Amino acid sequence: MESIVELKNVTKVIKGRTIIDDISFQVNKGEVFGFLGPNGAGKTTTIRMIVGLMAITSGDIAIGGSSIKTQFEDAVRHVGAIVENPEMYKFLSGYQNLIHYARMSKGITKEKIAEVVELVGLSDRIHDKVKTYSLGMRQRLGLAQCLLHDPEVLILDEPTNGLDPAGIREIRDYVRLLAREKNMAVIVSSHLLSEMEMMCDRIGIIQNGQLIDVQQVKEFIQGNETFHELEVIPSETALSIVHANFPDAEANLSRNGISVSLSKEDIPNLVKILVQEEIKIFGIKETAKTLEDRFLEVTKEKEAEAHV
Amino acid sequence: MFNLIKNEWMKIFRRPGTYVMIALLIVITCIVGAFFKYQETGSNAGPDKNWQQTLQEENDALKKQMEQSRTKIEQDFFKEEIAINDYRIKHNLPEKEKFNVWSFVKQASELITLAGLFTIIISAGIVASEFNWGTIKLLLIRPINRSKILISKYLTVLLFALTMLAILFVFSTALGALLFGMPEHAAPYLNYHNGTVTEQNIVVHLLIYYGLSSIDMIMLATMAFMISSVFRNSSLAIGLSIFLLFTGAQFTALLSLKFAWAKYILFANTNLMQYFEGTPMVEGMTMNFSISILVIYFIIFQFLAFFVFKKRDVAA
Ligand SMILES: Nc1ncnc2c1ncn2[C@@H]1O[C@H](COP(=O)(O)OP(=O)(O)O)[C@@H](O)[C@H]1O
Ligand SMILES: [Mg+2]
Repeated sequence: MESIVELKNVTKVIKGRTIIDDISFQVNKGEVFGFLGPNGAGKTTTIRMIVGLMAITSGDIAIGGSSIKTQFEDAVRHVGAIVENPEMYKFLSGYQNLIHYARMSKGITKEKIAEVVELVGLSDRIHDKVKTYSLGMRQRLGLAQCLLHDPEVLILDEPTNGLDPAGIREIRDYVRLLAREKNMAVIVSSHLLSEMEMMCDRIGIIQNGQLIDVQQVKEFIQGNETFHELEVIPSETALSIVHANFPDAEANLSRNGISVSLSKEDIPNLVKILVQEEIKIFGIKETAKTLEDRFLEVTKEKEAEAHV
Repeated sequence: MFNLIKNEWMKIFRRPGTYVMIALLIVITCIVGAFFKYQETGSNAGPDKNWQQTLQEENDALKKQMEQSRTKIEQDFFKEEIAINDYRIKHNLPEKEKFNVWSFVKQASELITLAGLFTIIISAGIVASEFNWGTIKLLLIRPINRSKILISKYLTVLLFALTMLAILFVFSTALGALLFGMPEHAAPYLNYHNGTVTEQNIVVHLLIYYGLSSIDMIMLATMAFMISSVFRNSSLAIGLSIFLLFTGAQFTALLSLKFAWAKYILFANTNLMQYFEGTPMVEGMTMNFSISILVIYFIIFQFLAFFVFKKRDVAA
């Protein structure tokens, strides 16, 4: 796989505060890279450095082999991006906005503009003023603006923020389509795990300015055992029984009882013990650990490491 | 670069405010025109028949005053008046010709201040607005470096200034011709320099006059541009620049009475007309001195604007 974006030990210090701390990762062509982290983790700041809006305190970022620091024009030529909200000139029509950006890159024809407008499905309203657009339409216009110059790298900062489920799904489909059909590298940031799971090939988790993990989505989810939810009373007693009999298993109190990380084969055994101890069992169900659980796990592990 | 200027131009002329400015400029020119028309019909005194005699008498009086005067500045002033009057008598060029289109254009050139005001408003907004709108992010992630973007914005401001001046000149000429008529033969403007009087075509004179009068507005627009780029705040840029546009000259004149360093203030030098007509604000100032000061201010403004704009972390 060919890498197109490369961050090398990128650090950003603003007013003595380290906002981004020594981040390195690569993104390959044709891949959707999810940049995941809670609000304030530093996703937008990292993206601003990738596209050259902010200076890099130390380290470097290369896009298509050109450094964004020293060869800005060559590097940014490969990039289409929306940073935070897709702000457009509200007093211009959508079309005039696109003309505006088209004039700033070489060789964008009228046909290309029409093609992009068609792709994002704005043909009907493209000649209306942007101030009359809904958020979803602005997001689509933002996407159109990114795609005008056939970039090799597409960067979308929280593209689904504020969109309804249909809008979110639309964005997801575009992103997958562009990566697959045009072999684009796509970087998408989000603080919502559920979205990342369906959109991305790889996920990098960022927290407090540090990149704490980068994994394939598949491994990320598979890398954990199944959980079982047991609806039991009294749950505290049940929990201590589990701890006593299965010291290796992870067990926690949950909303209706306890949840334990045991494989299917161990369940009959557990039920037998619980019944003997006169615990009332109302139900048992298998729950796959979601990306969310996994995410919390990873971030907790890292925090624990940091405190040692 | 041409495309960038086209973009800036589009962003200015797709906003209704710009048309309000142009309309105001035209309406106020009309009001000034109506005012002079009213005055003209009110006092219908034609040209003085005995103007030569009047001028001669004036000259005699001036000569006496000159002998009594002590300061060099005053003496120079009287000398100039006398030379011009003599020239008029000798070449049969009455001072008070009928109020015509060119008289009106000269009067209306006071409105250059208004054109300046509008230029400052545009200049103050051209960088700061992009930050306010948040559009700066999409503007700066194009394969065009920041300096080029800023240059295109500055050139657009100059182009806008030129457009406003052209509108004012053309419209006041048209309105003047309509209201006051074209003179059969345009009386030349008399230029006094180093003791000799020369004739200058009135249109050429007016164009030069326009050019010199615009220095003020260009310098302040440049300052507004700088403030807009450094502080990303168009209100501050507009407020400060317009305040100085209206008060800078008076302030400087006051200061110049007491302090010699007042000659280094921008506004002591923006009026280059002072070297053609009248006297310099501070004694000993020369045209070259003023031009050097203007160039220095210009470079400082531009350096600050570019330096900050290039270095800035964009977090709009
Ligand atoms: N211009 C700035 N000046 C100071 N602090 C900033 C600036 N921009 C961002 N930060 C801080 O950096 C951290 C990361 O912000 P950001 O990158 O916007 O996070 P995210 O996009 O992941 O929500 C936050 O704590 C924020 O307060
Ligand atoms: Mg953010």
